[in-house]
Amino acid sequence: MALQPAAGARDLNPRQVEGNRRIRQTLAGVYRLWGYQEVDPPSIETLDTLAAGGGIAPEELVRLVSDDPLGLRPELTASIARAACTRMADHPLPLRLWADGNIFRCLQGDAGRLRIHQQIQSGVELLGEPSLSADVELIRLLLAATGSLGLQPEHKPTLLMGHHGLLQALLEPLPAGLGEPARAALTSFDRLSLQALEPQLGNSGELLSLLELRGRPQQVLAQLQNRLGDMPLLQDLGRVIDLVTPAAQGLGVELQLDPTFQPHFNLYDGLVLKLVCQGADVPIAIASGGRYDALVGRFSTPASLMTLPAAGVGFGFDVEHVRELVCSTRDGQQTVLVARGPATPLEVALERLESLHSQGIPAELLGEATPDRSAAEAVASQRGCGDLIWLGP
Amino acid sequence: MLTIALAKGALLKDSVRCFAAAGIDFSALLDKGNRQLMVPSPCGRARALLVRNGDVPVYVSYGQAQLGVVGYDVLQEHQLPVAQLLDLGFGGCRMSVAVKASSPYRRAADLPAHCRIASKFTRCAERFFDGLDLPVELIHLTGSVELGPITGMSEAIVDLVATGRTLAENGLVAIEDLFHSTARLVGNPLALRLDQGDMQQLVKELAAAAQPIEVA
Repeated sequence: MALQPAAGARDLNPRQVEGNRRIRQTLAGVYRLWGYQEVDPPSIETLDTLAAGGGIAPEELVRLVSDDPLGLRPELTASIARAACTRMADHPLPLRLWADGNIFRCLQGDAGRLRIHQQIQSGVELLGEPSLSADVELIRLLLAATGSLGLQPEHKPTLLMGHHGLLQALLEPLPAGLGEPARAALTSFDRLSLQALEPQLGNSGELLSLLELRGRPQQVLAQLQNRLGDMPLLQDLGRVIDLVTPAAQGLGVELQLDPTFQPHFNLYDGLVLKLVCQGADVPIAIASGGRYDALVGRFSTPASLMTLPAAGVGFGFDVEHVRELVCSTRDGQQTVLVARGPATPLEVALERLESLHSQGIPAELLGEATPDRSAAEAVASQRGCGDLIWLGP
Repeated sequence: MLTIALAKGALLKDSVRCFAAAGIDFSALLDKGNRQLMVPSPCGRARALLVRNGDVPVYVSYGQAQLGVVGYDVLQEHQLPVAQLLDLGFGGCRMSVAVKASSPYRRAADLPAHCRIASKFTRCAERFFDGLDLPVELIHLTGSVELGPITGMSEAIVDLVATGRTLAENGLVAIEDLFHSTARLVGNPLALRLDQGDMQQLVKELAAAAQPIEVA
């Protein structure tokens, strides 16, 4: 019987691991520059924490068989928010934290079979800062991190920005009972369901026009102002956009304000973000995040050790998606192969190997002696080594 | 260039006609000698992927095709995250519960608890019987579902009924409909949000082309 990894679990080869490691280190370097400290939240949490106050559907959680209701984390935010509320009572606010690691989601395949999907996520959380400055810092940090990844112009990075409050304000005038179906149809881009709702609203075409409302932030803001009037939320959003636009332009990231966009996990209750790049064939979402004040409020109860102001923002990069975009198959540091002829003792080869290592040059040993240089060259080429050091005649 | 997943089989001819009305010629797909699975339109605006019915929402949800044409029945069965954009009006049929003509049951709710139901569409069937609060044993078949009641393996079937002829010829009768199905234009939600106008334009043209079919 062939021994395969469990369906959905990842079995990465050294080159993929190396690619992931470099992306994780690059991102971590940027997070540290911005004053973020690393935390290591547990992979296992109680289902109550993982469900993030109903933001994540129970069927997407990988449950563990145990006496307590436990599961594997489907994202990092809820675990970090929980840890911040219960374990970081003595830290000055705001908390700037970053983490990376594996996350697990449950998908229901055809014929009802459950599959586990494993991903590597790297992201930050900024907790305890309710002001607009946290939203701006989050986006600027997301842009700075994106700038460090080595994306090319053909990747056409686009940052989709939405806001929970904005969607709420747009849906408020709807009659009772229509708000929820309209929200579901707008966020899933379900034009047919919106058409079905239109007769109840006098066929004004209002809902269908909302589905087409997106684009350059200033233009969309102007249209929103026409619809909603001069509300403070629009002013704040305009200010955030003014403060992030120069950085986005400098990095070639297109900003798109999309009032009906909501991310897959319903953790967020303010600003929401998704960074999408053009892959070889399809658009690839490489990061997402937003503001999740209510989630922090949920963990920060009087029963917890500290009462954190109910404010939190964060984002997470999907490391493997980034690797698919930026790492070609030839990437990875090549080693030098140290090989010897039959007359050269193993000790000499080992000494040479370690002298290369002491100079910081990655080198590997060909244990068995080869009859001549050409045989060693063949091995070096087969192993993908960049160079050969031949110890022999 | 837009990539459009089209379903092989009953919907293909009308799908090609629909796109032709919007100025995109995929008629090469209808040539009997055609073995190509990816066919560009001569205008260079789009290319078609010829895939199995159930695979259309898969290609669209993964983003490999930005648009697709597939029956509502398939969307209901597979429940993948695709955006429903238009009801194209053709390919009309019903998803129905059918029993032997000699059976005493005349409504789905009359069926005895824990009876066997054979279907290709077990998720649709499961949701329907859950809605009735009727526990049933579902048997997944991949075709010739009508044989379930004939051989006595199941009390009833859940299957697509277009004219009812297959049911009648096999001595079965439809007793209740789950839903009415027609061909739908579906799209990848992320591609729609990033669209620079190409997709929206095509959807508008297809909407205009689909109207007369609905009236007919």
